[in-house]
Amino acid sequence: MRALWSQWKADLLRTVRDRRFFVFTLIMPIGFYLIFIHEQRGALHIAGTFWSAYFMVSMASFGVVGASVNTLGVRLATERKSGWVRWLRTTPLSSAGYALSKIFTQLVLSLLIVVVVFLVAGLDQHVSLSAAKWIEIVLWIWIGSVPFAALGVLIGLAGNAAQVLGTLVYLALSMLGGLWTPIQVLPKTMQDIARVMPTYRYAHPAWGLLANRSIQWSDVLILLAYTVVFVALAAFIQRRMEAKPEA
Amino acid sequence: MAVIEFDQVFKVFGTKEAVQDVTFRLEAGQAVALLGPNGAGKTTSIQMMLGLLKPTRGRVELFSHDPADPASHDRIGVVLQNVSVPERLKVKECLNLFRGFYARPKSLDELLDLGGLAEDADAMAHALSGGKTRRLQFALAMAGNPDVLFMDEPTVGMDVTSKRHFWDALRGFVSAGKTLVLTTHDLQEADLMTDRILVMNHGRIIADAPPEEIKMQFGGRQVKFSSGETGLAENMKGWPGVLDIQVAGRQLAVLTQDSDALLKRLFLDGHDIRDVEVGGGGLEEAFVRLTREDTPV
Ligand SMILES: Nc1ncnc2c1ncn2[C@@H]1O[C@H](COP(=O)(O)OP(=O)(O)O)[C@@H](O)[C@H]1O
Ligand SMILES: [Mg+2]
Repeated sequence: MRALWSQWKADLLRTVRDRRFFVFTLIMPIGFYLIFIHEQRGALHIAGTFWSAYFMVSMASFGVVGASVNTLGVRLATERKSGWVRWLRTTPLSSAGYALSKIFTQLVLSLLIVVVVFLVAGLDQHVSLSAAKWIEIVLWIWIGSVPFAALGVLIGLAGNAAQVLGTLVYLALSMLGGLWTPIQVLPKTMQDIARVMPTYRYAHPAWGLLANRSIQWSDVLILLAYTVVFVALAAFIQRRMEAKPEA
Repeated sequence: MAVIEFDQVFKVFGTKEAVQDVTFRLEAGQAVALLGPNGAGKTTSIQMMLGLLKPTRGRVELFSHDPADPASHDRIGVVLQNVSVPERLKVKECLNLFRGFYARPKSLDELLDLGGLAEDADAMAHALSGGKTRRLQFALAMAGNPDVLFMDEPTVGMDVTSKRHFWDALRGFVSAGKTLVLTTHDLQEADLMTDRILVMNHGRIIADAPPEEIKMQFGGRQVKFSSGETGLAENMKGWPGVLDIQVAGRQLAVLTQDSDALLKRLFLDGHDIRDVEVGGGGLEEAFVRLTREDTPV
């Protein structure tokens, strides 16, 4: 427990000092939000709500996905490559402790991103929702980020390629999943593609909550399926890498 | 009590046999060196002691437990090869991170002192110079106030001053009755810091003895001189302590365990010798000869 706490504190500190974290997971979503909201007019109606609220959810999701897929992946890859993980394995900190620390850190960051994006939207666009609705949406975006953390772990195994891969996957998933442009305005094929993206299935329930629709099981199941696939793949690759000696 | 036990341990990477049939037992309070040239299997062995690698065959135990079990890690400290310190943490934050892992950590001040890093406590660990990074790694290894310290080539890349400082710190650790395992390819370091040397070559242990014995067995100094005397080389072969004689024209190169006795005899017996040179750091010489001959596989 003590070991986990110590590791968690250090992980949080290191992330807060990470410029990459701020650029990709806070400045980009907030910047996009402010730019596109002024261009497009926040008062436009979309999917049973206002564009200002809809895009707020999009950008919060975008930020959280970035923190998980990109920042987490790159950090894991760096720690592994530098031999730091190997060293930690000789300390009383268990592998489970290491993993839990990363998960807790990620949860704190996700919450921070959601709250900051929502604050900006609330202040700049006067997005107003009932207290219960705010909480529901925050909770969904927070907890629903699990599959992306798993994807981050997977990308963390990519070694030197993690940085490029992380950025590509993160941007591709965000774009194809309708986080940048609502899928309602996209051609049919793009809409079909979006519906199988984890990013779409992640933001969709939150958009629905804005329009007073409840969370659909199909979204939850698809996200769970993605989680299982990512975790299984990561475990498989990890085992292969251990069987094959590291240099 | 056994700290480490290897029982007929093999480690194979693909077709490469990195460690072959290694058996030894290390008791608490010993300071032991794994000595051998690059590729001898030292790192592979130490990684198996720490549970970072699993033996292909054989049994490895740390405190009579599975080395991979984190529970057995509370009493050990480790310095590995080719490991950097984390980014975006200050020196003191790194130390506190590690202190938090152990049940009975040393104080922060004590660790800063051990590493000679008191002035760098607030510096970013990643930005330290090479020498200071090594010292930070040592301080981190000491964070849990370990009973056993493992170090893989700890002084590679250290300048002479850092080395001396580091050896002093290590001597303090050993004289407190603690256990030390270090790998090195520097016989002098092994001789200086440990009371038992396991010489490794090609994955096998080819000698296991106290440094004095290793030196006695394999050591020796080279005495070179020129002489017009015929038959001197033949004659000297029977002298006590003489290991090897090479003749090149008038030049003789005699390898001996006791150069003082040899010279005394040469002069007292009134042999005709000139241009005497005594050379060869005996230790280095010994080590080169020890690992030069291919051990039978
Ligand atoms: N991960 C690995 N994969 C393949 N061969 C390895 C690996 N690690 C070590 N070896 C080989 O095993 C032998 C012993 O290596 P090592 O234990 O690192 O030696 P040392 O530390 O004594 O220099 C070397 O020939 C090395 O090339
Ligand atoms: Mg080595």
